[in-house]
Amino acid sequence: MQPYDQMMTRQRKWMFYLLAILVLGAGFTDYPRIFLGLLLGAVLSFYNLWLMQRKIKQFGQAIVEKRSARGIGTFTRLASAALAVLIALRFEEYFHIIAVVLGLMTTYVVIMIDFVFFKSRYLHREER
Amino acid sequence: MGALAAAIAVGLAALGAGLGNGMIVSRTVEGIARQPELQGPLQTTMFIGVALVEAIPIFAVVIAFMVM
Repeated sequence: MQPYDQMMTRQRKWMFYLLAILVLGAGFTDYPRIFLGLLLGAVLSFYNLWLMQRKIKQFGQAIVEKRSARGIGTFTRLASAALAVLIALRFEEYFHIIAVVLGLMTTYVVIMIDFVFFKSRYLHREER
Repeated sequence: MGALAAAIAVGLAALGAGLGNGMIVSRTVEGIARQPELQGPLQTTMFIGVALVEAIPIFAVVIAFMVM
């Protein structure tokens, strides 16, 4: 498996763990509004992550095979963030808006933590 | 005035994201075209760069919809 594919799998795995924790929080704690907001944001953030991974892989493949590449899905990602906020504003009694915004940012936290760990592991391997 | 503020916020953020993404993508295309065996590391760098660049416009879209 290529390192890029390994990174994709790792990030998706951590996002699934995080979603599972948020579902448990929404079901079993006294703050369902906050956890539902976090869950809504994290689900759309996961969609953003999946789309970004897929589009960038297709893009790299297209360059190697000397095909013309389509876009990298920026507009779709902005639209999905807008959709999350619209749902949160429409059903304000179920979703906490600040929690939705924090949920939308979970992907970036996962990417940065994964990058830091992966980089340190890679550097240790180089030193040996 | 709220709609105008939202439009300015999203427009400027999209402009910044477009410029940033353009620079990242152009350098990646150049790198992979020169050395196709470096596709994996360059893709990873591009992925992280695009993620960082797009975090700010996503915030801008969220703020724009909240002020509207």
